[in-house]
Amino acid sequence: MESGGLGWIVAVNLIIWTGIFLYLLRLGRKVREMEKEP
Amino acid sequence: MKTLAAWLLWLWMSLVIIGAFFYAPLAKGFIGESSRILFFHVPMAWSSFLGFIAAAVWSALYLIKRDFKHDRAAVAAIELGLLFGVLATVTGALWARIMWGAYWNWDPRQTSILISLLFYGAYLALRGAVDDREARARLAAAYALLGMVVTPFLFWIVPRITYSLHPEPVVNAQGKTEMEARMQHVLYASTLGFTALFFWMHNLQHRLLALWERKSAPLE
Repeated sequence: MESGGLGWIVAVNLIIWTGIFLYLLRLGRKVREMEKEP
Repeated sequence: MKTLAAWLLWLWMSLVIIGAFFYAPLAKGFIGESSRILFFHVPMAWSSFLGFIAAAVWSALYLIKRDFKHDRAAVAAIELGLLFGVLATVTGALWARIMWGAYWNWDPRQTSILISLLFYGAYLALRGAVDDREARARLAAAYALLGMVVTPFLFWIVPRITYSLHPEPVVNAQGKTEMEARMQHVLYASTLGFTALFFWMHNLQHRLLALWERKSAPLE
Protein backbone atom coordinates (compact mmCIF):
# COMPACT_ATOMS: atom_id res chain seq x y z
CA MET A 1 0.00 0.00 0.00
CA GLU A 2 1.22 3.51 -0.75
CA SER A 3 2.28 5.60 2.23
CA GLY A 4 -0.52 8.05 1.33
CA GLY A 5 -3.07 5.27 1.92
CA LEU A 6 -1.43 4.34 5.19
CA GLY A 7 -1.47 8.01 6.19
CA TRP A 8 -5.25 8.07 5.94
CA ILE A 9 -5.55 4.91 8.04
CA VAL A 10 -3.25 6.40 10.70
CA ALA A 11 -5.27 9.65 10.68
CA VAL A 12 -8.56 7.80 11.16
CA ASN A 13 -7.03 5.68 13.95
CA LEU A 14 -5.70 8.79 15.69
CA ILE A 15 -9.09 10.50 15.47
CA ILE A 16 -10.85 7.43 16.94
CA TRP A 17 -8.27 7.12 19.74
CA THR A 18 -8.48 10.84 20.54
CA GLY A 19 -12.27 10.59 20.67
CA ILE A 20 -12.15 7.65 23.10
CA PHE A 21 -9.50 9.46 25.15
CA LEU A 22 -11.49 12.70 25.45
CA TYR A 23 -14.62 10.74 26.35
CA LEU A 24 -12.77 8.95 29.18
CA LEU A 25 -11.27 12.22 30.39
CA ARG A 26 -14.74 13.82 30.51
CA LEU A 27 -16.20 10.74 32.20
CA GLY A 28 -13.47 10.97 34.87
CA ARG A 29 -14.40 14.62 35.55
CA LYS A 30 -18.10 13.73 35.80
CA VAL A 31 -17.40 10.84 38.18
CA ARG A 32 -15.32 13.16 40.40
CA GLU A 33 -18.17 15.69 40.49
CA MET A 34 -20.73 13.00 41.33
CA GLU A 35 -18.51 11.64 44.12
CA LYS A 36 -18.48 15.11 45.72
CA GLU A 37 -22.28 15.30 45.74
CA PRO A 38 -23.74 14.57 49.19
CA MET B 1 -5.99 8.86 36.63
CA LYS B 2 -4.29 12.22 36.96
CA THR B 3 -4.74 14.43 33.93
CA LEU B 4 -1.01 14.58 33.12
CA ALA B 5 -0.72 10.78 33.19
CA ALA B 6 -3.80 10.55 30.97
CA TRP B 7 -2.27 12.90 28.40
CA LEU B 8 0.97 10.92 28.52
CA LEU B 9 -1.08 7.82 27.71
CA TRP B 10 -2.70 9.69 24.81
CA LEU B 11 0.76 10.58 23.48
CA TRP B 12 2.06 7.04 24.04
CA MET B 13 -0.80 5.37 22.20
CA SER B 14 -0.66 7.94 19.40
CA LEU B 15 3.01 7.06 18.90
CA VAL B 16 2.06 3.36 18.94
CA ILE B 17 -0.48 3.97 16.16
CA ILE B 18 2.08 5.88 14.08
CA GLY B 19 4.75 3.25 14.83
CA ALA B 20 2.45 0.38 13.86
CA PHE B 21 2.12 1.81 10.34
CA PHE B 22 5.35 3.70 9.69
CA TYR B 23 8.03 2.17 11.94
CA ALA B 24 7.27 -1.57 12.12
CA PRO B 25 7.95 -3.65 9.00
CA LEU B 26 5.44 -6.06 7.53
CA ALA B 27 5.63 -9.65 8.75
CA LYS B 28 6.59 -12.27 6.17
CA GLY B 29 3.90 -14.61 4.86
CA PHE B 30 0.96 -12.26 5.42
CA ILE B 31 -1.27 -10.83 2.71
CA GLY B 32 -0.83 -7.10 2.14
CA GLU B 33 -0.73 -4.97 5.28
CA SER B 34 -2.75 -7.45 7.33
CA SER B 35 0.07 -8.23 9.77
CA ARG B 36 -0.24 -4.70 11.24
CA ILE B 37 -3.43 -5.74 13.01
CA LEU B 38 -1.14 -7.71 15.35
CA PHE B 39 -0.18 -4.49 17.17
CA PHE B 40 -3.78 -3.99 18.29
CA HIS B 41 -5.25 -7.49 18.26
CA VAL B 42 -2.67 -9.07 20.60
CA PRO B 43 -2.78 -6.25 23.24
CA MET B 44 -6.60 -6.44 23.17
CA ALA B 45 -6.45 -10.20 23.82
CA TRP B 46 -3.88 -9.53 26.57
CA SER B 47 -6.15 -6.89 28.20
CA SER B 48 -9.01 -9.38 28.11
CA PHE B 49 -6.85 -12.02 29.81
CA LEU B 50 -5.65 -9.45 32.34
CA GLY B 51 -9.25 -8.51 33.17
CA PHE B 52 -10.30 -12.09 33.79
CA ILE B 53 -7.27 -12.92 35.94
CA ALA B 54 -7.54 -9.64 37.89
CA ALA B 55 -11.22 -10.46 38.50
CA ALA B 56 -10.23 -13.82 39.99
CA VAL B 57 -7.75 -12.09 42.32
CA TRP B 58 -10.34 -9.50 43.44
CA SER B 59 -12.90 -12.27 43.89
CA ALA B 60 -10.49 -14.16 46.16
CA LEU B 61 -9.97 -10.93 48.12
CA TYR B 62 -13.73 -10.54 48.45
CA LEU B 63 -14.10 -14.08 49.80
CA ILE B 64 -11.35 -13.42 52.35
CA LYS B 65 -12.28 -9.88 53.45
CA ARG B 66 -16.00 -9.67 52.54
CA ASP B 67 -15.56 -6.07 51.43
CA PHE B 68 -17.92 -5.11 48.58
CA LYS B 69 -15.30 -2.89 46.98
CA HIS B 70 -13.48 -6.08 45.90
CA ASP B 71 -16.72 -7.44 44.45
CA ARG B 72 -17.18 -4.22 42.46
CA ALA B 73 -13.57 -4.39 41.28
CA ALA B 74 -14.13 -7.97 40.07
CA VAL B 75 -17.30 -7.06 38.13
CA ALA B 76 -15.60 -4.07 36.52
CA ALA B 77 -12.62 -6.25 35.52
CA ILE B 78 -14.86 -8.89 33.94
CA GLU B 79 -16.91 -6.29 32.06
CA LEU B 80 -13.72 -4.83 30.63
CA GLY B 81 -12.32 -8.30 29.96
CA LEU B 82 -15.43 -9.00 27.90
CA LEU B 83 -15.13 -5.68 26.07
CA PHE B 84 -11.50 -6.28 25.11
CA GLY B 85 -12.28 -9.94 24.35
CA VAL B 86 -14.98 -8.93 21.88
CA LEU B 87 -12.60 -6.40 20.29
CA ALA B 88 -9.88 -9.07 19.99
CA THR B 89 -12.40 -11.47 18.42
CA VAL B 90 -13.62 -8.87 15.92
CA THR B 91 -10.10 -7.79 14.91
CA GLY B 92 -9.13 -11.47 14.64
CA ALA B 93 -12.15 -12.18 12.44
CA LEU B 94 -11.28 -9.25 10.14
CA TRP B 95 -7.75 -10.61 9.81
CA ALA B 96 -9.09 -14.16 9.24
CA ARG B 97 -11.24 -12.86 6.39
CA ILE B 98 -8.12 -11.59 4.63
CA MET B 99 -5.84 -14.55 5.39
CA TRP B 100 -8.20 -17.54 5.58
CA GLY B 101 -11.04 -16.29 3.38
CA ALA B 102 -13.76 -16.35 6.05
CA TYR B 103 -14.49 -14.35 9.19
CA TRP B 104 -15.13 -17.45 11.28
CA ASN B 105 -13.36 -20.81 10.84
CA TRP B 106 -13.76 -22.57 14.21
CA ASP B 107 -10.01 -22.43 14.59
CA PRO B 108 -8.93 -23.47 18.15
CA ARG B 109 -8.00 -19.83 18.88
CA GLN B 110 -11.37 -18.55 17.77
CA THR B 111 -13.22 -21.32 19.57
CA SER B 112 -11.30 -20.89 22.84
CA ILE B 113 -11.90 -17.12 23.00
CA LEU B 114 -15.58 -17.68 22.19
CA ILE B 115 -15.83 -20.14 25.10
CA SER B 116 -14.11 -17.58 27.37
CA LEU B 117 -16.61 -14.91 26.35
CA LEU B 118 -19.52 -17.27 26.99
CA PHE B 119 -18.03 -18.29 30.35
CA TYR B 120 -17.79 -14.68 31.51
CA GLY B 121 -21.10 -13.73 29.90
CA ALA B 122 -22.59 -16.41 32.16
CA TYR B 123 -20.90 -14.67 35.12
CA LEU B 124 -22.94 -11.53 34.41
CA ALA B 125 -26.09 -13.64 33.94
CA LEU B 126 -25.41 -15.31 37.30
CA ARG B 127 -25.14 -11.92 39.00
CA GLY B 128 -28.38 -10.83 37.40
CA ALA B 129 -30.19 -13.90 38.69
CA VAL B 130 -29.44 -13.39 42.41
CA ASP B 131 -31.22 -10.59 44.27
CA ASP B 132 -29.50 -10.76 47.64
CA ARG B 133 -26.37 -8.60 47.48
CA GLU B 134 -24.23 -10.74 49.76
CA ALA B 135 -25.23 -14.05 48.15
CA ARG B 136 -24.70 -12.54 44.69
CA ALA B 137 -21.20 -11.35 45.56
CA ARG B 138 -20.26 -14.67 47.20
CA LEU B 139 -21.52 -16.85 44.32
CA ALA B 140 -20.03 -14.58 41.66
CA ALA B 141 -16.68 -14.57 43.47
CA ALA B 142 -16.59 -18.38 43.57
CA TYR B 143 -17.45 -18.50 39.86
CA ALA B 144 -14.81 -15.91 38.92
CA LEU B 145 -12.21 -17.83 40.95
CA LEU B 146 -12.89 -20.82 38.72
CA GLY B 147 -11.76 -18.54 35.90
CA MET B 148 -8.25 -18.72 37.37
CA VAL B 149 -8.13 -22.25 35.92
CA VAL B 150 -10.35 -21.80 32.87
CA THR B 151 -8.77 -18.60 31.51
CA PRO B 152 -5.07 -19.68 31.38
CA PHE B 153 -6.22 -23.00 29.90
CA LEU B 154 -8.20 -21.32 27.12
CA PHE B 155 -5.81 -18.44 26.42
CA TRP B 156 -2.42 -20.13 26.81
CA ILE B 157 -2.68 -23.92 26.76
CA VAL B 158 -5.34 -24.80 24.14
CA PRO B 159 -3.66 -22.74 21.35
CA ARG B 160 -0.31 -24.40 22.11
CA ILE B 161 -1.44 -28.02 22.23
CA THR B 162 -3.79 -28.08 19.24
CA TYR B 163 -3.14 -27.71 15.53
CA SER B 164 -4.13 -24.22 14.47
CA LEU B 165 -3.91 -22.03 11.40
CA HIS B 166 -3.36 -19.09 13.73
CA PRO B 167 0.16 -17.60 13.57
CA GLU B 168 2.52 -18.78 16.28
CA PRO B 169 1.97 -17.03 19.61
CA VAL B 170 4.24 -14.05 20.36
CA VAL B 171 5.95 -16.22 22.98
CA ASN B 172 6.09 -19.63 21.30
CA ALA B 173 5.97 -23.11 22.81
CA GLN B 174 9.76 -22.98 23.28
CA GLY B 175 9.41 -19.78 25.29
CA LYS B 176 11.04 -17.69 22.53
CA THR B 177 9.88 -14.63 20.60
CA GLU B 178 10.81 -14.89 16.94
CA MET B 179 9.79 -11.50 15.65
CA GLU B 180 11.64 -8.66 13.97
CA ALA B 181 13.02 -6.20 16.59
CA ARG B 182 11.02 -3.17 15.39
CA MET B 183 7.82 -5.20 15.46
CA GLN B 184 8.62 -6.22 19.03
CA HIS B 185 9.15 -2.56 20.04
CA VAL B 186 5.72 -1.54 18.75
CA LEU B 187 3.98 -4.64 20.09
CA TYR B 188 5.39 -4.27 23.62
CA ALA B 189 4.73 -0.51 23.63
CA SER B 190 1.15 -1.18 22.53
CA THR B 191 0.69 -3.87 25.18
CA LEU B 192 1.95 -1.47 27.85
CA GLY B 193 -0.40 1.26 26.59
CA PHE B 194 -3.39 -1.08 26.51
CA THR B 195 -2.56 -2.26 30.05
CA ALA B 196 -2.57 1.35 31.29
CA LEU B 197 -5.81 1.99 29.38
CA PHE B 198 -7.34 -1.08 31.00
CA PHE B 199 -6.52 0.12 34.52
CA TRP B 200 -7.74 3.65 33.77
CA MET B 201 -11.06 2.32 32.45
CA HIS B 202 -11.25 -0.11 35.37
CA ASN B 203 -10.80 2.70 37.85
CA LEU B 204 -13.63 4.67 36.21
CA GLN B 205 -15.98 1.68 35.98
CA HIS B 206 -15.25 0.68 39.60
CA ARG B 207 -16.12 4.18 40.81
CA LEU B 208 -19.24 4.32 38.62
CA LEU B 209 -20.44 1.04 40.14
CA ALA B 210 -19.86 2.46 43.64
CA LEU B 211 -21.89 5.57 42.72
CA TRP B 212 -24.65 3.43 41.23
CA GLU B 213 -24.80 1.33 44.42
CA ARG B 214 -24.91 4.47 46.54
CA LYS B 215 -27.76 5.94 44.49
CA SER B 216 -29.79 2.74 44.38
CA ALA B 217 -29.19 1.79 48.05
CA PRO B 218 -32.26 3.63 49.46
CA LEU B 219 -34.48 1.60 47.13
CA GLU B 220 -33.26 -1.76 48.44
